[in-house]
Amino acid sequence: MTSLTLSPLAKARFTHVQREYRRVWVYVIPVTIVFAVVFIGPLAVTIWTALHRTDYFEVKEFAGLTAFVDLFSDEDLLSQVGTTLAFACGALVVALPLGLLSAIVLNNITRFTRLVRSLFLLPWLMSQATAGTIWLWFLNPNYGPATAFARSLGLGSTDTFSNPTSALIAVTLITAWWSYPQAMLLFLGALQTVPVELKDSLKVDGGNAWQGFTNVTLPYLRNSIVSVVVVLLMLYVQMVTIILVTTRGGPLIATETLAVRVFNQTFQDYDLAGASATALLLFAINILLTLVAIRFRRKESL
Amino acid sequence: MKRTQWSVAIAAVAVLALAGCAGNSADPGASDSDEAITLTYWDFIDPSQDTPRSQALKQNIENFESENPNITVQVEVVSFGDMLARLPQAAAAGTLPDVVKMYNPLVPQLADAGVYQSLGEKAAAIDDWLLPIDSLVDGAGEQIAVPYEYRSCALVYNGKILSDLGLEVPQTWDEVVTTASATAVAGFGGFGTGFSKEDNSSIIAELFDCFMTQVGQEPTNSEGEAVFATKRAEPFGDFLTDLRDADALSSSVVADQYTAVTDGLSNGTLAMGVIGTHRIITVQTLNPDVTWAPLPGVEEGDHSTTTFGWTLGIGASTEHGDAAWKFIDYLTSSEAQSLMATGGEVPVRASTYDNEFFSTPEAETVLAIRDYLENWGQPRQYPIRWLAISNSLAEAAQAMNLDGTSGSQLLETAQDTANR
Repeated sequence: MTSLTLSPLAKARFTHVQREYRRVWVYVIPVTIVFAVVFIGPLAVTIWTALHRTDYFEVKEFAGLTAFVDLFSDEDLLSQVGTTLAFACGALVVALPLGLLSAIVLNNITRFTRLVRSLFLLPWLMSQATAGTIWLWFLNPNYGPATAFARSLGLGSTDTFSNPTSALIAVTLITAWWSYPQAMLLFLGALQTVPVELKDSLKVDGGNAWQGFTNVTLPYLRNSIVSVVVVLLMLYVQMVTIILVTTRGGPLIATETLAVRVFNQTFQDYDLAGASATALLLFAINILLTLVAIRFRRKESL
Repeated sequence: MKRTQWSVAIAAVAVLALAGCAGNSADPGASDSDEAITLTYWDFIDPSQDTPRSQALKQNIENFESENPNITVQVEVVSFGDMLARLPQAAAAGTLPDVVKMYNPLVPQLADAGVYQSLGEKAAAIDDWLLPIDSLVDGAGEQIAVPYEYRSCALVYNGKILSDLGLEVPQTWDEVVTTASATAVAGFGGFGTGFSKEDNSSIIAELFDCFMTQVGQEPTNSEGEAVFATKRAEPFGDFLTDLRDADALSSSVVADQYTAVTDGLSNGTLAMGVIGTHRIITVQTLNPDVTWAPLPGVEEGDHSTTTFGWTLGIGASTEHGDAAWKFIDYLTSSEAQSLMATGGEVPVRASTYDNEFFSTPEAETVLAIRDYLENWGQPRQYPIRWLAISNSLAEAAQAMNLDGTSGSQLLETAQDTANR
């Protein structure tokens, strides 16, 4: 067995590499701590709570899977999952093209850019509670401007939130309106990476604007679209405030998504174990949707 | 250099940890006698506002502090909905306010959540409560709260609309349906109520509460189980379905809250509604055509109703029980209650009515409400799950209006949901 002898230069390089490795921990440890505190910890507490009996906000004795059995035997669960998906997909279908269209407009205008950008961003600058309250007032069947307008046209009042279907459509549209600027900003960043030369060469070849969009812009935006879909879906699946402010899940639980169910179980029924079980189901749905979207992204990248 | 960085980091963590441990230990071990004490008090009324009730509260706190220079009252403005969510959390965390103000139907639920400490004999020492206070006890029968103001349901109506249409003030629920239908035909809102769960279903829950007293039906049995789907309670369900069938309810009743009714009465678009007596003065200020009458009866001449209202209690985790009681004692005193009455609230102690304010014309409505409550009002021993009953009623009423279910189905659905 012969011992390995290093030249002074190799030794110095080895020591440098060792130091570099040690420095990595300076970055890894804080991130790990933060990740543990803001994600692993709460997740573990949620699982722990779901497996115990709770009395208001106190966790009592171990109860096994009782909360999950209650959750999956609840006759309202299926409709709440359906409402969650309808709400999330509905808002996405509206916000995604609206965000893309606004980003294209902003990317192409040369005058009043700041003013237009501010106007487009306005909904997102409001808190969700403010956005919900504004629409509640706007659509109020007694004194809302929408009712005044409808009446001036000889129509009746806008009883938007009194009917299960129109209430679900309304909260979906309000959420899409509030959140589309988020999609717009992400698309705007992506649009600015589309090479101008490609667009110019298409013009030289006689291509029109629509061909430029479908053949140049869209292929460059594909991965951004997937990212926006993931971000927005997560936002919608977990959305609580706008629904609480406008309908509180009604009428007849037509707008009670799983996230609203978690809120109601926690603060109205004081059923922390049940709320934790629902929150874990919501988490699983979120993971599933994200995995589907990520899979799309990989395929597109190939 | 690296050592210095690590030292700074460790010091920072240590400071944060110590700050976390320090948490809630203000005034540790302070005795309630002469040492400086800060009492935390949660109220939904903001004393910095310009309304009569806000000003009365502000003045009362200032007067109390000048009488007790070692006690400072720190008011935290918390909405009713937030109180319901936050008080049980604060009870679990041991961070309750020293003085808790709460709407009495929810007191048993919050007592069950460990929000209150027993008042012992403190409340019993006061012997001039206008109505018995024995309904404000916990499961063990301990007094945990005292009344702060009284209110009940009343028929509030627009006198001008009724007289213009040649209609009499209804005396029975059947007459309410007929009158509301006639006003709806004339283009006004008929009978104002709301089935939204947004504000904890408060307007439908109040109506149900008063109606149940009138028909003599307890909402729950001794085990706390909802048992109101009975023949005796049927007039309540029938009243709502009759209103629906007579087109006397607002088209937006499913989404309407308490404010939709008070707004409708204030702006003259609504003919009548059953609302809390505490709202009468505010609505009358905005619309002088609005007046009120005792609750209509199932039988003519019966105006029985439930008396409810806000209460005061001491937070279970307080270290200043004596100071907290001192503040409660002051807020229920003749001086403080007279000031509150200027904002339209009905005082809870008989001695308050000796104050000269009650011989002025401004006190007329408050006195009339007091007489109504004394003659017809009955306090209720609320069940622990009153909130579940309220919300299940709102949901069942939504189904009644949207799906056309009957009055008895409304009661059965609400009962089943409440017990689920």
